[in-house]
Amino acid sequence: MRNPYEVLGVAPTASAAAIQSAYRKLAKKLHPDLNPGDKSAEEKFKELSGAYDLLSDAEKRKRFDAGEIDAAGTERPQQHYYRDYASANQDHAYADASGFADFMDGDDAFAELLRRSQEARANRPGRDLHYRLAIDFADSITGADKRLTLPDGSTLDVKIPPGLLDGQVLRLKGKGAPGAGKGAPGDALIEVEVLADPRFARDGDDISLEQPVSLSEAVLGGRIRVPTPTGAVTMTVPKGSNTGTTLRLKGKGAPRRGGGHGDQFVKLKVVLPTPPDPELEAFVAKWSKAKESDLRKDEAS
Amino acid sequence: MSKQELLVRLGVPAQTLELWLEQQWLIPAQTTLGLTFSDIDIARAHFIRDLQSDFGVNDEAMDLVLHLVDQLNGLRYALSELRKDVR
Repeated sequence: MRNPYEVLGVAPTASAAAIQSAYRKLAKKLHPDLNPGDKSAEEKFKELSGAYDLLSDAEKRKRFDAGEIDAAGTERPQQHYYRDYASANQDHAYADASGFADFMDGDDAFAELLRRSQEARANRPGRDLHYRLAIDFADSITGADKRLTLPDGSTLDVKIPPGLLDGQVLRLKGKGAPGAGKGAPGDALIEVEVLADPRFARDGDDISLEQPVSLSEAVLGGRIRVPTPTGAVTMTVPKGSNTGTTLRLKGKGAPRRGGGHGDQFVKLKVVLPTPPDPELEAFVAKWSKAKESDLRKDEAS
Repeated sequence: MSKQELLVRLGVPAQTLELWLEQQWLIPAQTTLGLTFSDIDIARAHFIRDLQSDFGVNDEAMDLVLHLVDQLNGLRYALSELRKDVR
């Protein structure tokens, strides 16, 4: 890296105002966006702005003059200039053909070419528009019809397909911004957020649920009502079920891609009566001494 | 990029950016998440900032400079298309 005073073309004694004016003068000549055809402008401008960053900061300049820091490491990070985008194509909001509009009127090849590119721009397709939509967990499994209200007050009907996953993006063809001229409209891209349901957890096509059961249901078995995303169903709890016993409700999960459904797994959780029941306590006190096996015999040693 | 992120990136006051938008020096896309600045919007914003803070281009002259630069870029594009055909 060259000496920053040299880069700016000023004496080491130059005032801050002189440095600024030297910078502005050179920057006007070297700024890549003011010299879109000059490939070397970017490199030169980088060097210039690095030198200016160093010398325009009184503290840094003092340290540089005292030899505490050198000019290295003052370069600005790589940046993309406007020219990199603005002349690459002309389908952006800032495109301007007024600099050569008159050349398009002729009947030569050049005019023809300009007319073609102008026409392509006049009929460019519309942009895609991005939206977000939050839906309930149950709707993500069963599918649903939703209506999205857009910022301009209009509405968009969105069909949620059954089995949709959180974060999935739905594309509504032709529902984006209108195209110019004969250009087709863009698409609406809707990112769907599935709101968590405290009861259900989803694992692929399967759904799991923790289901409280009473002591008598666990010991004696019975029929209980279990919620599923498509509504409550009746399920048989077998005799002698325990906390952690997992039962399967076949076909009550999310729809599978190739047809059919996943399953819902119901994990039982035995809940003792509250408040504690004296009759039960009396019974268990009498019963446990004789019958209960030692659950912790392996841990005892 | 959101308006907030762009403000941080540029280091200009919010009302400065508001003026740029009002003057249509910047034309970002409007989405449900608010204004969204694309790569070209961000690069153009940096250019406007350089013109304002380093080159002393005032609000009056900004329209003129941007108009000329856009014409220049339009011409460069037309020229590069022509070159493709000639080859």
